[in-house]
Amino acid sequence: MPALGVELVDMDGTSCCGPFAIQSLDYEGWLALAARNLCIAEKMGLDIMALCNDCYESLMMVNQTLKKDEETRDKVNKILSVANKKFKGTVNVKHTMDVLCEDVGFDKIRSKVTKPLNGLRVATQVGCHLVRPKLLHAGVGRGFEVLDDLVEALGAEPVEYDDKEICCGGPLRDIDDHLSRSLSSRKLAALKRANVDCVVTACPFCYIQFDLGQLEIKSLLKEEYDIPVLHFVELLSFAMGFKPEASQLREHRVSIDGIVRKLT
Amino acid sequence: MMVEKSALVIGGGIAGIQASLDLANRGLKTYLVEKSPSIGGRMAQLDKTFPTMDCSICILAPKMIECFRHPKIELLTYSEVKEVHGSAGDFAVKVVKKPRYVQADKCVGCGTCADHCPVELPNEFDSGMGVRKAIYIPFPQAVPRVYTVDKDHCLDCGLCKSVCNAKAVDLEQEPVELELHVGGIVVATGFDTYEPFRITSYGYGKYKNVVTAMQLERLLSASGPTGGRIMRPSDGRIPRTIAFLQCVGSRDQRFGYSYCSSICCKYAVKDAVLIKEHRPDSEVYIFYIDLRVFGKGFQEFANRAKKEFGVKFIRSSPGEIREDLETRDLTLWYEDTLTRTVKSLKVDLVVLSTALMPRSDSGELAKILGIDTDKFGFLVPSDSIGQPVDTQVPGIVGCGYCLGPRTGDIPDSVMQAGAAAARLTEILTAGGA
Amino acid sequence: MHEVAKTARGEGVLSCIQCGRCAGSCPVGRLTLKYNPRRLIEMVNLGFKWEALFELSWLCLSCFTCIDRCPQGADVGEVVFALRAIAARDGNVPKGALAMAKSLVETGHIVSPTASVSKQRAALGLPPCEPVPEVAKIAGKTGLNKILGPK
Repeated sequence: MPALGVELVDMDGTSCCGPFAIQSLDYEGWLALAARNLCIAEKMGLDIMALCNDCYESLMMVNQTLKKDEETRDKVNKILSVANKKFKGTVNVKHTMDVLCEDVGFDKIRSKVTKPLNGLRVATQVGCHLVRPKLLHAGVGRGFEVLDDLVEALGAEPVEYDDKEICCGGPLRDIDDHLSRSLSSRKLAALKRANVDCVVTACPFCYIQFDLGQLEIKSLLKEEYDIPVLHFVELLSFAMGFKPEASQLREHRVSIDGIVRKLT
Repeated sequence: MMVEKSALVIGGGIAGIQASLDLANRGLKTYLVEKSPSIGGRMAQLDKTFPTMDCSICILAPKMIECFRHPKIELLTYSEVKEVHGSAGDFAVKVVKKPRYVQADKCVGCGTCADHCPVELPNEFDSGMGVRKAIYIPFPQAVPRVYTVDKDHCLDCGLCKSVCNAKAVDLEQEPVELELHVGGIVVATGFDTYEPFRITSYGYGKYKNVVTAMQLERLLSASGPTGGRIMRPSDGRIPRTIAFLQCVGSRDQRFGYSYCSSICCKYAVKDAVLIKEHRPDSEVYIFYIDLRVFGKGFQEFANRAKKEFGVKFIRSSPGEIREDLETRDLTLWYEDTLTRTVKSLKVDLVVLSTALMPRSDSGELAKILGIDTDKFGFLVPSDSIGQPVDTQVPGIVGCGYCLGPRTGDIPDSVMQAGAAAARLTEILTAGGA
Repeated sequence: MHEVAKTARGEGVLSCIQCGRCAGSCPVGRLTLKYNPRRLIEMVNLGFKWEALFELSWLCLSCFTCIDRCPQGADVGEVVFALRAIAARDGNVPKGALAMAKSLVETGHIVSPTASVSKQRAALGLPPCEPVPEVAKIAGKTGLNKILGPK
């Protein structure tokens, strides 16, 4: 990020706001916990950049709701007073992709590409919460194709595949593991049919679902796909000339050695 | 006060045509102003009307000619109303006749100019499915049969001028301003069809074989771009399996209009039967939420479509359409809500029954006239129960789909036109409002 | 049905015209006959008991595809949050979700880092994950207190 001219400041004392679990149990509880994180950012006077699609959308939805609805805002602030916090509505919530699109801009990214990814066949998994519901994201000027556009800007070839817009199945982990696996298995099968070199995700959760997921599917469903999974920041870093070893290669349960070889 | 025993009708579709004839037959001098080069409107674009399956232009054209020939009607086509002042009994109206760059009194409508014109453009009349030249008539039965030059796309090559035997082409023509004095005004501007680009899950605009119902009408029509053979856009193949999707943009709070357009179920049943008549071995599906075929004869017609013609009705609004990149065939994902099963269906052609909406310029015209429109752009009657064709301005009445989706079909528009003409006659002969 | 309509995010349940567009879009519905978003709303409107509904409501992925396409704004993807909250008030919560919620209130995170993850954090120079006591304080002031039980 610093290479692209973006300074990131860590937020102290944030917590998870429980986009799936907490949001489902108690509406105000979710609003309050998310608002707490927003207050920390407000105190620092900085916009939030969320790495994960769920965090991003959860914080963004709460931010918008509390900014618009005065009655709810008052209720939540009453709850937050026990922690000496007050939501004011002074910051925005962005996804890493938004920072790349708006604050950095694709032109700058293209100019920083020193090792174009030369026809690497890349399928993209945007992740549900970066783009849906459409109306919620209407103010942000990017759509479903944004990750494909980034892949192209880096010199690689975005590849179409069946069921591209469908969810990876991540949220059903620990709720109904079988369904969760079936969904990702369906997507992986489609990726295999499309003959891709790798799949790139915008969401860390999709990343886990596809990467660790492939190991689980291999042992439990006896299906083998062998499709390397990358997070888009990794792909970006490779194209910008950062050594692949500098990224956490050990973290990839499905080996990306093949990709690394193709690129060097 | 002197009451002008004359009227202005804005809009040359079936409603405007009927209103003009009714007014003129009562002895009132009537100006019929139409924005496009020819009168006829939407009815001219249709192949057959429901439920009688009569040829649409066969019913319409005699009325168009009657308008043209009527001693009391003056047709002002390719013209627009720019200003209106005054009140009932004495309106001063400024009308601009846009230049056709062809002299109407000299043009014989032979079409030699169009044959030589090098510019090809998508034809608005064919809803983009066919082409026209930069010098054109919108459809074969156009009234008046005078060619028009689309200056925005004209190359100024002068070929048309050089081949015209009647010496009718005048590329220097200027707009003409007319000041009309009329006693009353009828608004009959009709509708536009909704183009569902925003409903991205249906792929309109992306998938070649997803068309709107109006586009299908042009494919079915003998005067259309394929001479009445239903050739699907991607490869010209005659489709064997066709799906109609209802309520596209109607009854839609999010990406369309919240009202029911009131004629789509009817026209879908009609089109489905037409397709089965063209090709009896075809499989035709209508995906509906509610089948709104109200009125005399329509439920019976829908029943015949099912039993006699084998049209398959599925109670479902499909979730999404996907395209096979090679064959350009389409796959629908839907839940059949009656059997409660989630399924996919592969078809050759998808027809979207899209919403009917007020014309995009209806707001502008309303401002010129000083009348109210609702949030969609439809005219608001001064008293929707007691005086349903009157607007807020005495002496200005409305008829046809610009009043909103009532029953919306052709007889309905004709009846409203009669009501509008009667109201105006009442106002003008009783001495102004 | 009206209880759902009065619960936060459940308002859409009264707008449903049962068109089935959600069911034609739902990825879970394509994999299993168990779950059908249109049918879920139908059952709510027919007055089915919570025991039948709450398990199904947890099968929704919150992918929001149905919300993008619902023509009437019934938004099943929102209504499921209301259904889950109502069930939670009565003590019906799936084990996995309950564990995540409890962990969140106790540690500030829905899962605790495993040993290998903690090692990697250290190797990268990241500080260890700290619990966040404010979360418990705030949660105590909301409905979460009753659902998760006092600490």
